[in-house]
Amino acid sequence: MEREVGGGKYTTVSIPTTLYRRIKKIIQGTGFTSVSSFVTYILREVVASYEDRIDEEPFTEEDKQAILEKLRKLGYL
Amino acid sequence: MSRKLFVIGLDCAPPKLLYDEFKDELPVLGSLLDESSKATLHSSHPPITIPAWLIMVTGKTAGELGMYGFRHRKPGHYNEFYIVNSRYVKHPTLWSEAGSRGLTSVVVGVPPTYPQKPVKGLLVTDFVTPGPESRYTFPPTLKREIESRYGKYIFDVVFRSEDRDRVIRELWSMTRQHFKVYGYLAERTKWDFYMFVEIGTDRVQHAFWGYMDPQHHKYEPGNKYENVIRDYYKLIDQGLGELLKKVPEDAVIAVVSDHGAKRMKGAFVVNQWLAEKGYLKLKKNNLPPGSDFKAEYVDWSKTVAWGWGGYYARIFINLEGREKNGVVKPEDYEHVREELAEEIRKIRGPNGEQWNTKVYKPEELYPEVRGDPPDLMVYFDDLYWRSAGTLGWPTLYLRENDRGPDDAVHDWFGVFSLYDPQESFNLSKSIVDITEIHDIFSSILWG
Repeated sequence: MEREVGGGKYTTVSIPTTLYRRIKKIIQGTGFTSVSSFVTYILREVVASYEDRIDEEPFTEEDKQAILEKLRKLGYL
Repeated sequence: MSRKLFVIGLDCAPPKLLYDEFKDELPVLGSLLDESSKATLHSSHPPITIPAWLIMVTGKTAGELGMYGFRHRKPGHYNEFYIVNSRYVKHPTLWSEAGSRGLTSVVVGVPPTYPQKPVKGLLVTDFVTPGPESRYTFPPTLKREIESRYGKYIFDVVFRSEDRDRVIRELWSMTRQHFKVYGYLAERTKWDFYMFVEIGTDRVQHAFWGYMDPQHHKYEPGNKYENVIRDYYKLIDQGLGELLKKVPEDAVIAVVSDHGAKRMKGAFVVNQWLAEKGYLKLKKNNLPPGSDFKAEYVDWSKTVAWGWGGYYARIFINLEGREKNGVVKPEDYEHVREELAEEIRKIRGPNGEQWNTKVYKPEELYPEVRGDPPDLMVYFDDLYWRSAGTLGWPTLYLRENDRGPDDAVHDWFGVFSLYDPQESFNLSKSIVDITEIHDIFSSILWG
């Protein structure tokens, strides 16, 4: 279910209560004011690392040449 | 009933070494195998690391996966090709299926898993990863955990160096590190499915087979590298001794390879043979030995077919409408393919000896043919002779690999064993096809 808070749209995601408590403990004194803000921050980081790359070729031209050379030496080509 | 499954993947391990010659010298692996039900694994078409491991974890053939090796030709291009990676994997893998059932997996080094995809559990990518600077783990933070404990991850060894001692040092140091990582990950999370593939077994065999096998044309009795492969299996055994202490006692343990290995008799210069037979027209005949096959060397208006090198040969027909300068008319395609296949089957060895060459059309091997397959797949002399794609040689028969020394070729037969402390799971057949393994593993994991 979506809701609006301070101009942003939010939805609820369930996490185990034990994990919630563990997070609450580790964010004490870190500047993260809530478990939600910490979880959002971490997930953004992780998701962005995939999104950044999804349209990219996994191998640069340099990688490709290095892999080809390796495959040649290994007898695959 | 759902059971934990631990899979020990040894790339290229043949039954001859693991089940027969070395077993009694391997206290850990040997006794594990003694208590396991053992089968011979029949590898895939083609019997190559990619697609073989992926076939094992998806249950799909190479045709359905659209993977016929590490590289594939870009349709319509004579020179351009792409390297297979995890993004080409469109079928569910054992770990994605396990995740959807709420099970946790640890996956290390199974090709092709780079670039890393999210997995419910832990993942370290395979040896086609460009290097330790790449993002090679899931979750991404796992990379830091690994490197802070064991240093930069070593994906592979620099191979085919004439400096054999260096290859040995690198192999040993890579494998020791790998087993530390396997052990760390075995304890890092509570897993249901754990699978690692150690590539070192493949590398040591390709580099040292000729020093070990008295039937190999390069073998010299008493040479200093005679026991390198045997010693490497002992290293694996030591690693397993520590690792298996971290595997829950009730887990089912599988030992599996993707294909086997046997001595290489030589390399057959496929494009020069095609030229001799009139299927391929080269513009220049004075190329230096070992020249790469390049589109600019070929008169495509007079070329019917060309080939690729590797452990098997891929033959492409210069088909009108598909290739840039295609000359074979679509209505003649089948006839040309048949005729060429028949000619290839007749090829004899350097001394006029008969070869057991197998030639297949992809659609004969697979229920579905996806991706960019060759027109013909050729195993020269039942894989004993590899295919050399290069040009400029004074002969069609090379005793060494055209890309440098290589002592071993791939073989159809690998290993597959299952150890179940509760004796619920046994292999009932002496030969298991690689496409059957997925179902065997899934029956252990989720019944």
